[in-house]
Amino acid sequence: MRVRPVKMAASVRQWARRVIRLSHTNITGASGGLSVRFDRCSAGSYCRCFGDAAEGKQTHFGFETVPEAEKAKRVYKVFENVAQKYDVMNDAMSLGIHRLWKDKLLHVMCPQPGARLLDVAGGTGDIAFRFLEYIRFQQERQRRRETRAVETPSWQELSTNYSTEDEDGPRESKAVVCDINKEMLKVGKQKADSMGLVSGLSWVVGDAEELPFDDEQFDIYTIAFGIRNVTRIDQALQEARRVLKPGGRFMCLEFSKVTNPVLASLYDAYSFQMIPILGEVIAGDWKSYQYLVESIRKFPDQERFKEMIEDAGFYCVQYHNLTGGVVALHSGFKL
Amino acid sequence: MTVAQKHFFSCSTVVIRLLRNLVMFRNVLDRLVTETVRIHRYVKHVPLKPRTTPASVFVRSFTGAKDEAQPPFDTSLLDFLVCPLSKKPLRYESNTNELINEELGIAYPIIDGIPNMIPQEARIIKKASDTLNRPTQE
Repeated sequence: MRVRPVKMAASVRQWARRVIRLSHTNITGASGGLSVRFDRCSAGSYCRCFGDAAEGKQTHFGFETVPEAEKAKRVYKVFENVAQKYDVMNDAMSLGIHRLWKDKLLHVMCPQPGARLLDVAGGTGDIAFRFLEYIRFQQERQRRRETRAVETPSWQELSTNYSTEDEDGPRESKAVVCDINKEMLKVGKQKADSMGLVSGLSWVVGDAEELPFDDEQFDIYTIAFGIRNVTRIDQALQEARRVLKPGGRFMCLEFSKVTNPVLASLYDAYSFQMIPILGEVIAGDWKSYQYLVESIRKFPDQERFKEMIEDAGFYCVQYHNLTGGVVALHSGFKL
Repeated sequence: MTVAQKHFFSCSTVVIRLLRNLVMFRNVLDRLVTETVRIHRYVKHVPLKPRTTPASVFVRSFTGAKDEAQPPFDTSLLDFLVCPLSKKPLRYESNTNELINEELGIAYPIIDGIPNMIPQEARIIKKASDTLNRPTQE
């Protein structure tokens, strides 16, 4: 752990952070590789400014700077600790609004029956469940429309008629939940079993930077509130592009920069005062939630992240700000 | 939809899910409950044929209890699951419940029906000696 920054006076540290944040926002339009490297090295150069020699590649873990190899381990431990209480904490911290964010993701996604979804860092499976329910709702609505259009005496005959057909069309929709953390997947699987969502849902333990899937397999790739925990974001984006079919869509839901300054200061106060306390009270883990709020601050803002997605080779990259920029929904296509 | 409506739907969905756990014949009543929540207009309830699922998994959800030590692995995953290192297809070994990459000589464990595709957690299969070594997993 880097001790030099901690030893500095708080005011100097804050000034330094502000400088780094400003330099983040100022560097736009840089060439692809350079901008990505700048982001990764900024944490390292922050240390180098204050006299420390950077050994190997450095990255950020919250406001700390750690070697890249260590970040993955520490993130794993964070989520292993919070897995059981993850959903409860999400509701408590976001006051239930995270459900609306995820619903918005689904509405923008508008999946068609037969689509294949890969939900990376899917953990407890929220996106995958919504995906399957959305598709089933679409299919049932379609079936009901067909039913009403045809004149038949009784619904019993209808059900026997339609049940012999291939209900789901040429291919059944499939959702694969991939997460690096076994505990999160276990919780997700239990939730699915209790909800009765078994068919069309698969669970795989895998690394977002090295996905265990063949090329061009999925129609939609989503990563909700997970990409900031990935050590090498550019690699995760490359892998996303690899596993998507041509025409496939990349969608990312992530905490981002709040644009309104009043809201920003309220949000900061809430993040740093309330959330770690909630974490301590509900999940019994202050540090994990401290990491969470810090990692949000270290993640690039909407425009920077949009550039990173474009650099990975996605087209028509757009973002929607949700809740005033607290969360941003980025979307890109592989063409 | 307004924000309040969205909240109401998500809350009611949670309540509905709790109710589901109390009934025996989940497949039919599942459909009934989902329809009452989502579609207000439609009155008739069409009991649809249960979805085709892998037979063993279907049985497990009916009984609600795990009869076997581990749930069986869904082999349809093998259609697109590959080794993360070489991106080559894998072979499912039912004896040891692992996914084998012959080329690199590594085996990925399957725990609770969930394949663990992290390279560091894979077991190296020695080519000459037996493959039933104690796996190097936590």
